[in-house]
Amino acid sequence: MKRKLLSFLFVWMISILTVWSQNRTVTGLVTDGSEPIIGATVAVKGSTTGTTTDENGKFSINIPEAGATLKIRFLGMTVKEIVVDQNSPTTGLNITLVKDPLMLDEVRVTAIGEQKSLRKIGYSTSQIQGKSVASSGESGVIQGLSGKVSNLAITKNSGDPGAGAFIQIRGQSTITGNLQPLIVIDGVPMSNSSIGGGVDGVVQQSRLNDINPEDIANVEVLKGAAAAAVWGTRASNGVIIVTTKRGSRSSKKNNINVEVSSSLALDFINKEYEKQGTYGQGTGGKWKANAGGSWGDKIALRSGADSLNLSGPKFVAENGTVYNPILKKGDNKEYNTANRDQVFRTGVTYNNNISISSGNEKSAIYFNLSDWNQQGILNGNSDYRRTTGRLNYTHNLNDKFKFSLNTFLSKIFSNRIQQGSNLDGLYLGYLRTAPDFNNTDYIGTYYNAAGIPVFNSHRGYRNYMGSAAPTYNNPGWTLNKQTNTSDVTRVIITPEASWEWAKKSILTVRTGYDISNDRRITYFPYLSAASASNGAFTDQFLKQSEISFHAYNKNSFEVNKDLSINTTVGFLYTNRSYYTIGGSASQFILNNQDRNAFINYTTANMNPFNSVENLENNRVYGIADIDYQDKVFLQLTAASEAASTFKGRFYYPSATLAYEFTKDILQNNKVLSYGKLRASAGLVGVEPPAYIWNTNYINSSSASGWGETLDGSQFGGSIYRSSIQGNPNIKPEQKTEFEIGTDLKFLKNRIGLSATYYQNKTTGAIFAVDVPASSGFTSKWDNAATISNRGWEAELNFKVIDNSKLTLSVYGNVSSNKNNVDDISGVNSIFLAGFTGTSSRAVAGQALGVFWGGKWETNADGSFALDGNGFKKAAATEGVLGDPNAKYRAGIGSVISWKGFDVNILFETSQGGQMWAGTYGVLNNFGVTPETANEVTVTADEAATIKNYRGQTISQLATANTDGSYTIRGNIADYGGGKVLLDESWYTGLGGGFGSVSQDYIRDASWFRLRELSVNYKLPKAVLSKLHIPGASVGFTGRNLLLWTEFPGVDPELNLTGTSNGRGLDYFTNPGTKSLIFSLKLNF
Amino acid sequence: MKKTIKYILAGILFAPLFFITSCNKDINDINKINPNEFSDSDPKLMITGAQLANVMLNEGEAARLAGIFAGQFTGYDRQYISYGQYNMTSGDFNSPWEELYSKGVGQCKLVRAKAITANDKVLEGVAMITEANLLLTTSSLWGDVPSSQACVEGINTPVYDKMSVVYTYCIGLLDSAIARVGTSNKYATAYAGTFTWKEVANTLKARALLHKKDYAGAIAAATDGVSAGNDFHAKHETAAPGAWNIYYDFLDWNRSGYMSCEGSHMFALLDSASTKNKRNAKTDETARFDYYFLLDNYSPVDPNMYGGIFDAQANFALASYNENQLILAECYARTSNDAKALEHLNKVRKAHDDKFGPGAYSDYVSTDAQVSDNAKLLKEILTEKYVSLFGQVEAFNDIRRTKNLIGIPINNGTTLPGRFLYPQSEINSNPNTPAPGTLFDAVELFK
Repeated sequence: MKRKLLSFLFVWMISILTVWSQNRTVTGLVTDGSEPIIGATVAVKGSTTGTTTDENGKFSINIPEAGATLKIRFLGMTVKEIVVDQNSPTTGLNITLVKDPLMLDEVRVTAIGEQKSLRKIGYSTSQIQGKSVASSGESGVIQGLSGKVSNLAITKNSGDPGAGAFIQIRGQSTITGNLQPLIVIDGVPMSNSSIGGGVDGVVQQSRLNDINPEDIANVEVLKGAAAAAVWGTRASNGVIIVTTKRGSRSSKKNNINVEVSSSLALDFINKEYEKQGTYGQGTGGKWKANAGGSWGDKIALRSGADSLNLSGPKFVAENGTVYNPILKKGDNKEYNTANRDQVFRTGVTYNNNISISSGNEKSAIYFNLSDWNQQGILNGNSDYRRTTGRLNYTHNLNDKFKFSLNTFLSKIFSNRIQQGSNLDGLYLGYLRTAPDFNNTDYIGTYYNAAGIPVFNSHRGYRNYMGSAAPTYNNPGWTLNKQTNTSDVTRVIITPEASWEWAKKSILTVRTGYDISNDRRITYFPYLSAASASNGAFTDQFLKQSEISFHAYNKNSFEVNKDLSINTTVGFLYTNRSYYTIGGSASQFILNNQDRNAFINYTTANMNPFNSVENLENNRVYGIADIDYQDKVFLQLTAASEAASTFKGRFYYPSATLAYEFTKDILQNNKVLSYGKLRASAGLVGVEPPAYIWNTNYINSSSASGWGETLDGSQFGGSIYRSSIQGNPNIKPEQKTEFEIGTDLKFLKNRIGLSATYYQNKTTGAIFAVDVPASSGFTSKWDNAATISNRGWEAELNFKVIDNSKLTLSVYGNVSSNKNNVDDISGVNSIFLAGFTGTSSRAVAGQALGVFWGGKWETNADGSFALDGNGFKKAAATEGVLGDPNAKYRAGIGSVISWKGFDVNILFETSQGGQMWAGTYGVLNNFGVTPETANEVTVTADEAATIKNYRGQTISQLATANTDGSYTIRGNIADYGGGKVLLDESWYTGLGGGFGSVSQDYIRDASWFRLRELSVNYKLPKAVLSKLHIPGASVGFTGRNLLLWTEFPGVDPELNLTGTSNGRGLDYFTNPGTKSLIFSLKLNF
Repeated sequence: MKKTIKYILAGILFAPLFFITSCNKDINDINKINPNEFSDSDPKLMITGAQLANVMLNEGEAARLAGIFAGQFTGYDRQYISYGQYNMTSGDFNSPWEELYSKGVGQCKLVRAKAITANDKVLEGVAMITEANLLLTTSSLWGDVPSSQACVEGINTPVYDKMSVVYTYCIGLLDSAIARVGTSNKYATAYAGTFTWKEVANTLKARALLHKKDYAGAIAAATDGVSAGNDFHAKHETAAPGAWNIYYDFLDWNRSGYMSCEGSHMFALLDSASTKNKRNAKTDETARFDYYFLLDNYSPVDPNMYGGIFDAQANFALASYNENQLILAECYARTSNDAKALEHLNKVRKAHDDKFGPGAYSDYVSTDAQVSDNAKLLKEILTEKYVSLFGQVEAFNDIRRTKNLIGIPINNGTTLPGRFLYPQSEINSNPNTPAPGTLFDAVELFK
């Protein structure tokens, strides 16, 4: 009903517009000197009469009997005026347009997917060419943008193949809503979800990575509220507009281009933890089998060989090596290198593409097939294979009717590795391994003392005999025995039609259908660590789809020679649905066969689950673009939205203004060749999550933070009230954004500078507000927070050398954002992600995502409160520990072209943010960091007074050296009460990562890196003609080659909790990578 | 010209018309009902959830921490090492507190209201007993806590009642429940045992009165308390995650190695090699020692999670005949009736002999060295209770209530923990939360 009414109104509104009469016809052809120009505007100066050239570059226009001046315009070309008087010929006019030397008419893609001249844009936008995305060597489109756009922060979830990334534009402005920008591909919204991903498990792929970067023509990043009208409640985090390649129409014969490209990428770990190799497994300076920590004896001082009990139980590894119970540890070798080599390998990726683009006068196609086949750097079941196909087809039936159909198919299969806070995770087992334990033999047969075998037994440093599941997995087991697969099929279809149904009135109808299926299997074989010790299995199927229908009508009116108005009125409907079904099971019936099936579980040990979500939005909007004297450009937009997730309608206005001031002042200035001031303001929203209106009743389940659970379904079924209180009055979050900026060009456009200051404020941010549990609920949904961001960003481009032989340009961007949580309804803090001990939170008056956890108790004067032995003490309450948000980010690079070589260098930095070194803290607890293996020597006097955390003096703990001094493992510190010894008692207690105080492990996470270095060489024509190949190039790209950071052990660009709203957490996260990519491209 | 502008403006101005004409009634139906959850429930199904929260409180993290503070367990690995040294922060207490109120007390109050509507007196009484059980444990650990205002609709920030007031409230609930439950044992899906609700309520009441040092009242209540063979147990009869023993879940399934009995006072009391061990001519603890502990050559002394007290399928005592008898024994001893006290102590020893004997425990006579005077008798009763109630919060309560009469060692510093800290989540959101204090402050009734 609504839609019908709308169409009716379109027709009615447009049809009342008058059409003027003409009386003499002029015809002609517009070319760029060789090729016809399609779509050039031919207008009668001083009137509203005008037309555009057809696909042959031809036009026909009526002019007054007395003659007129024709004004011919095309983007990127200098405007030309031709006088047609009574004596001029009226047919066969040949008009040649030349390129505008100022090249100001860069074209950008707007939120609805239309092209618009950059000159006329009054908001901040950044465009990246597809070539630059593809050459980055990243499997995902967005990761390839790193460092190239100001105020676009990309945090990878991990270095695993196909892992997603957290994208943040101009800081975080919501707490629990969708935090990610909207991705629009060819005009239709695309799912970029990364479902899954907490403090443990595997890093799932991001649906954003399904797209083949080779297909991308360009990516436009809209940062502010510019997209408000069209994308409403989904535009609050910015919009990334992706345009895929299309073939070009041409009247040329044999217009067919074939490109074949292949690349080989080698991936390496880009930052590793250092481990000590001095002290062995054990505690209290003595070797102890299966101990967690490496607080044992000095490895080098051992006798040389273990003394073994050869008559007891034994473990026979797959290669035949026999392990017997150790009576006395004598082995004096360290195995850090062997253990490292078990875990890492050189990752190898083969990427093959074939693209065909072609076109005739009426139609054009772009066709691509690609295969990305990647083996990750983790030496086991870590891979990612993506095969895609795309066909983009456009057809112009005649001047009035145009059709296009974009289709995309992607098939992805990948294997993931368990990570994080997870006893079955890779880094946890690997990094904690004692240096004197060799992990190589992880699987074999255990024979008990009676000689009874257990096949496929699992041996690790916490159960060296493999007599039962070890406390932590051996990394070999994690990498090779556990499987975590994901099998994705995705289809995106975008049909579009446009019809110029009245003069200068074009109706476009576009629909999009995006569907993806994902089957995920998680399998832990019998004898995996911890809760999977009797085997565990999950099989889950996920289906996501988004259907969109978008219709809009564009009108252009030339009111007079100074004023023209373009209007767009549109309607947009979207439906998103999500469905998952699956089951998890544990406790195998049959232990020794691997099956991804539920046949191996008793009924009590199976747990099926399913879940659905369905969201619908509809939106009507109007956009008016008012151009005055080709120098002042005003855009006004208004939109109204209804959605299934909130009641009533929500209205979004926005206004942007661009003023090309160099048309009025500083004309023909030698230094400043172009200047524009711009301002924009708008309101966008964030829709509430679905199903939060009511307080619901759920299956009962009681649990603790350590994982133990009592599940009502095991007790005959129990359904009780949820601890989260619903809120029927929930409204969308409202984000107001304001920005001012300027775009400047200097020295005949050799230098381009764009700078923007912005501020935004989100009111009514939705989250489940913590309420006292003693009220019966733990949280209540509410529009409860106010969050603001302000900052600035600048982008620079400088053509230092520009001649026919050599071009060298420098480009850069810098941005700074300050985030503040203005109000969270009186609650002290809101948990976003992390652990009970250390978490990323929202705290009033602090930046969003600050670290929260146990602190050191301090005295009134700021000094540490000390215990009787001179050590710091834990404060009774927790507080803010640091801020993960960077103070500023910048990228600087250079592009050089010389004799067929194209070189691109890009450095990127992030400064001032912090990160929780959770892994490092815990490794201190285990005594495997070099810090904990330090030795100090003190005088006899000091040894008698310096105490450890337990209050024992050094002289009590160690024996004197021959000179009377004492040497002991540990570090000396002074917290204000004199020197103290930091040894095992401190690191395994309050001073390590498992202590209740995490303050000391909040570390600076600033980094500076060589993000990209690429060299491309186009083979010269002389060589190619001998090979009978029209075009060929070879290339090399280095990605993340160099990294400088103070942060210990891991690339601080990663985050354990992925795309969740919590930032800056490192806890046994799988490592990041650096890559070398070699490519070959052939054109036919 | 002018006309054109008019039309354009009209076009822009017409945009709002669309907004008004679009109706959005139907679109809201899509998310009106959450298809993944329910809109309401049946109180008979809800009570199980509340009971599970009660089990989680008395057998989960709170019980483990109480056990560590009481020297029954040792914080052996990772975060638990800090706990063993009494290094705790407010955030460590969030989880048990949130679970007990939102999933326990809150559901009990809802069930009570729904039971009245359904005119189901027994169900109402069972909800009262569950609520009292939850709040008594809570108050014994945290002291002043929300009770009458807790989980009442419309009260977003409940006041904290003094511990004595909470006890009065709970005793009132138990009295009301006793009047309602008759001899029923219905609505006990989460529990195991042949108990009757009336006996359970009386033992809980006796426990509360003991804490209040109302020995005569405690004797009266305990006299009607849990009778021999009719213990009130948390049910863990299925060997599956979500159903099995919580200690087992923690010790073996989820957090292997975190907590042990290595070097604990509990171990010393039963270990024949220890100078502190409580064995004597009439007491052979060998069988109980094996039931309680697991020894191998590789790892520290573990609480026995394979076939012993914390086996996956071992039910967990929430109120037992032994506890009830030891309450009687202590109350008689406190009121100088040593003969009656000894009689009840011997009843417990007899029960142990039935389980671990025969011949492991024979009756004490008043001339035996262990019970030869009132002070020794009291210590023997409390030591027996400490050992009998392995893993139960009540052991920690007894230590604090009696000013550590049995003399457990202090792990760190000079003071034993006196209370749990108020959870950070409550401090964050309830302005009525009392000042945090320290872990070593005593709660009102145990001062």
